[in-house]
Amino acid sequence: MLPKDVKILYFYSVNRLWSFMSAPYMFVLFIFSKTVRLTLFILLLVSLFHGLSNLSGFTRDQMIFFFLCFNMIDTAAQFLFREVYYFRPLLISGGLDQILIKPFNPLVRVLLGGPDFIDCAMLIIMTVITVWFTASRFHPAPLQWLLYFALLVNGILLAAGFHIFVLGLGIRVIGVDHLVMIYRDLTALMRIPVDLYIEPIRFIITYLLPMGIMFTFPAKALLGLLSLSNILISFSFAFLLLYLALIYWHRSLRHYSSASS
Amino acid sequence: MRKYLTVFAVDWQNQFIYRLNFVLWRVRNILRLLMTYFLWRGVFNTNVSVFGYSQNQMLTYVFLVLLVQTLVTSAPSSDNIGGEIGNGELSNYLVKPVSYIGYWFTRDLSSKLLNIIFASVELTLLWLVFQPELQIPVHLLAFVVSCILAVFIFYFLNIATRFVSFWTPENTWGLSFLVIILIETLAGGIFPLDILPHWTNVALQFTPFPYLIYYPIAIFLGKITGIYLLRILFQSLLYCAIMYYFAQIIWRRGLKVYASEGR
Repeated sequence: MLPKDVKILYFYSVNRLWSFMSAPYMFVLFIFSKTVRLTLFILLLVSLFHGLSNLSGFTRDQMIFFFLCFNMIDTAAQFLFREVYYFRPLLISGGLDQILIKPFNPLVRVLLGGPDFIDCAMLIIMTVITVWFTASRFHPAPLQWLLYFALLVNGILLAAGFHIFVLGLGIRVIGVDHLVMIYRDLTALMRIPVDLYIEPIRFIITYLLPMGIMFTFPAKALLGLLSLSNILISFSFAFLLLYLALIYWHRSLRHYSSASS
Repeated sequence: MRKYLTVFAVDWQNQFIYRLNFVLWRVRNILRLLMTYFLWRGVFNTNVSVFGYSQNQMLTYVFLVLLVQTLVTSAPSSDNIGGEIGNGELSNYLVKPVSYIGYWFTRDLSSKLLNIIFASVELTLLWLVFQPELQIPVHLLAFVVSCILAVFIFYFLNIATRFVSFWTPENTWGLSFLVIILIETLAGGIFPLDILPHWTNVALQFTPFPYLIYYPIAIFLGKITGIYLLRILFQSLLYCAIMYYFAQIIWRRGLKVYASEGR
C-alpha cells in the first residue's frame, strides 16, 4: 500500500465513523447484542464444567481461552474487512465500475474501505477481557505473549486471505448472495479447539482450509501445546494463502462484466 | 384461500431459480450443526451421562436442532419486510386484495417445506456418516403440535421486530440483530436449556425463546411429560396469541405513520 492509499483509507474510515456516530443507540444495541452472545457462550462452557473435570483433555479455563481467542481474531477480521459484506450489491448494480475507474487500489477499497467501529469497540473489550483472563489464569512468560500476539496477527492475515478469496469468488459466482456468511459459518466451527473434531475433518479444517491454524494455534502456542514445526507452518500458510488470494483476485477481475451498469 | 395457494406455488417455483444459492444455504446449516455435535461428542468421551442426558439423548437433541430450527426459522420474510417498508414497496401490497401478513406467511411456508425436505436428506446423510444411536420419540403428536406452535410464535415475533422499520426505516437491522442473537442462544439451538441453573430455566419460560426449539425437542425426548407437557403446550399457545396480537398492534400503528418514502 502506498502512503497515498493509507491517507485515502483514513478518510474512508473517518466517514464510516461519522455514519456510526449518527445513530449512537444502534451502536449501543449492537454492542449489547454481541456482549450477550459472548457471555452466554461462556456461561454454557462454565455450566458444562459443573458436571465435568475436563473436555477431551482440556480444562474449563483452557476452553474459555480458546473461545476468547476465536473471538479476538473473528472480531478483528469483522472490524477490518466489513466492507466485504457490501461487495455483492456493488457487483449486481455495476457500482464496482465507479471504484475501478478511480486512481485508488480497488482491492484496498473493497477490503478495507469500511471498517466496522462496533467491532472495533468489541475488539477493545475482548482484548481487555482476554489479557486479564490469560494473565490471571495461565501466567504466561513474555516470550509466550510475544508468540501469541504474533500468531494472532498471523490469524488476521489468514482472515485477510479468506476475505480476498471471497471477493474474487463473488465476481465469478454472482448468483450466490451469502458467500461471506459461508466463511463465517466455517470459522464458527473454531469456537471449540480443533482437537475436538475427528479425522479427517480435523485435518481438513486445520491444514486445508486452514481454520485451525487461524484460530486454535495462537491459543495453543500460549498454552505451550504447539510444536515449533507447527508455528513455522502457521506463518508459511498465511503468506502462501495471501499470495494465492491476491493472484485469484486479479484473475477474477478479468471476469467482471459490469453487467448492470 | 386460492390466492395464497397461488402465492405458495409461485414462491415454490422461484426457489429453484437460484439453486446454488439454496444448496450453499443448506451447507451453512450443516456447518452450524457440526460444532455442537463435536462439542457434545467430546463431553461424552469421558462421561456416560451429563446433566441427566445420555449420549443418545444428547446426540438426538443435536440432530433434531437442525430439523426444528429449519422448520421454525426458515423465513424469507426476515430478509424482505424491513426493506419493503423502508423503500416504499409496501404500497404495492396495500393496494392488493391480500393480507401482507398472510402473504409473507405463505411465502415462509413454501420456504419451510423446501428446507425441511433438504434437512431430512441432510440428517439421513449425517446419520449414515456418524452413525450415532438416536432416541425414539416419546410423544410424537405433542412434538408436532409444539413445532407448529413454534412456527407461529417465530413468525409473529419476527415480523413484529421487522415492523420497527415503520419508525426507523434506515436502521431495521439493530433490533432484529438482538432478537437473532437471543434466538441463537436462548432458544436452545446450541445446548439444551435445562443444563443452565434452574432459576435461569424457569425465568426463560417467561420469554418466547425456549418455545421455538428447546421445548419441542424436550417433548420429543420425553423430558417433558404428563401435566408439565400440557402446561408447556398451553404456554406455547398463549405465547402464540400474545405474539399475534403484539404483531397486529405494531402493524396497525406502523401503518398510521407509514408515508411510503421512496415511492
